[in-house]
Amino acid sequence: MGHPSVERRRVLSAAALGREKGVPGPDPGGGEPLRAVAGEVLDVSPHLITIETPGGAEERLVIAPWATAWHGAEVAPADLPAGSMVLMRALRDGRVVERIWADTTRITGTILSIEGRKDLTVELDCGPHRGHRTIVIPYRSSGRLQVRHPKFEPGYLFDAIGVRRDGASLALLPATSQPPYPARSVPPPPPAYAGLQSRIAGTATWSDAFDEDERGAGYPMLERSDTGCAQTGVSCAGLPYLALGSLLQIRNVCTDRTANVPVVACGCVAGRFCDRCVECDTSPRGRVAELSPSSYVELGGELVKGCFNAQLGLG
Amino acid sequence: MTLVLESQLPLLIVMLVLGTAAKVATVTSGGEPGSLSRLGPAVLVPERWQAPALLVCAAGELVLAAGLLLTTHPLFRWGTVGFFALSTYVLLELRRRRPDAGCGCFGEVSAAPVGLRSIGRAVALAGMAAMSVWATVPGWQAAAAPSWWTAAGVALLAMLSPEIEELIDRVRYRAPCEQRPGPAESVTLSRLRSSGAWRAHRGALTSPEPYDTWRELCWRFFAFRNHDDDDVVFAVYLSGRRPAVRVAVVSSEDSDSLPVYTPVSA
Repeated sequence: MGHPSVERRRVLSAAALGREKGVPGPDPGGGEPLRAVAGEVLDVSPHLITIETPGGAEERLVIAPWATAWHGAEVAPADLPAGSMVLMRALRDGRVVERIWADTTRITGTILSIEGRKDLTVELDCGPHRGHRTIVIPYRSSGRLQVRHPKFEPGYLFDAIGVRRDGASLALLPATSQPPYPARSVPPPPPAYAGLQSRIAGTATWSDAFDEDERGAGYPMLERSDTGCAQTGVSCAGLPYLALGSLLQIRNVCTDRTANVPVVACGCVAGRFCDRCVECDTSPRGRVAELSPSSYVELGGELVKGCFNAQLGLG
Repeated sequence: MTLVLESQLPLLIVMLVLGTAAKVATVTSGGEPGSLSRLGPAVLVPERWQAPALLVCAAGELVLAAGLLLTTHPLFRWGTVGFFALSTYVLLELRRRRPDAGCGCFGEVSAAPVGLRSIGRAVALAGMAAMSVWATVPGWQAAAAPSWWTAAGVALLAMLSPEIEELIDRVRYRAPCEQRPGPAESVTLSRLRSSGAWRAHRGALTSPEPYDTWRELCWRFFAFRNHDDDDVVFAVYLSGRRPAVRVAVVSSEDSDSLPVYTPVSA
């Protein structure tokens, strides 16, 4: 069955049930709006950065005096090399940059094999949509990663943040404490006896399997027939079933920002993680959404931290 | 006296068939991979043999049940005695080696750790099987003439079955509809087709098959086109035999306004 337009589903379901159809985008009441700007660096000076956006346009943005950048480590914004792909958190209608992440990538999946003695080469299964991926763990970060991945062996989950360098992905920082179970035996959600609570709490993460400036989220609890993904519909967070095109209302509890984000992908890998986020408090277990980097940044998330405590409602 | 001997045959057959059905359902529904590892004798074999082990056990039970039902052959009679005696031994062994594992006698319903009641039931069933060895009639004749002894057997087994409490709990504390896997798409579609809303709009549709369908919370939506090229969308509630059905007609070019909106309940 084809999907003429999953956005149309939102209009149709709102009409059938006589409810308000939500509007994607940030909630206006959440403080000064943040804009995520993605692009390739053409030129950078201490006060000004010039990028080429994915659409091909050239944009010049002011770098705020307090701005910081991350490129495998904290660096001064002016030290970013030309040609690197950046994602920036910008204020004032997207004109003033206060945080830059360069060549940042997130490596999430199930470990298939581990090779090497000093620099480790790890092959990961990143889910049916994203395929296999081979990454490198440099020797200097392997200790830091393994301390948060005590079951560092095939069949277990892996989640790290790193940089893309010369076409290879280097894992540098652990993005979570590895769940202790094998990837295929996710614990069941806690029993829910009452009606659906209006909001579900958990952790929201990001993934780089989205287009550069796409706004959207992967959601674990989709129907298998809807997504054509045999591994979806698994989550330990007690999530309700939704469809591609449904609008999620996500609140970042740490920064108190809210946005409506459409479900655009199957979050089957995110559903296998029954972990917590300790970004500002200890969240309940389970990933409720896997956001695109732009949506994640506009909700006030920090890419290098990997998650924020989230509350989920239906937009 | 012969009445006493054959009175437990129907019970044995029903228990064996139930065991077969529950085991097959557990294997085919799959659940999450790895969930079998908490169940019964399956934990005692390596992981890749677990599903086949459960299926072999189910097939054996089915053969025994069929033999007891149709014939008086001692092979099936003694086979049943052996089966339940072996079960008793396996359950004792399971309790000793894996106190966390469920007996798996009735598939995933029997996920609670093996207790004295499960073992007692296996002993009781072995006793019943031994009693039936000398019965003179096949199972179908015994089932046709039930006695008070049969009722007593049912009461004894019900008392020794922890699964009954588990089933009652499951009915009482079901996950909310939003979190339960819904009925199959075709089932919901046939429920829609028996509703008043469908009959009211059927004539206007270009095709009886939906061009898109999706589920949100406890509603399943079916989208059709009508002859004016508008979208007709039905929302069917997923629980209940005669569920609520709502329908709206949305103009295709204008996605912001909803010109016609007609809620109808079946």
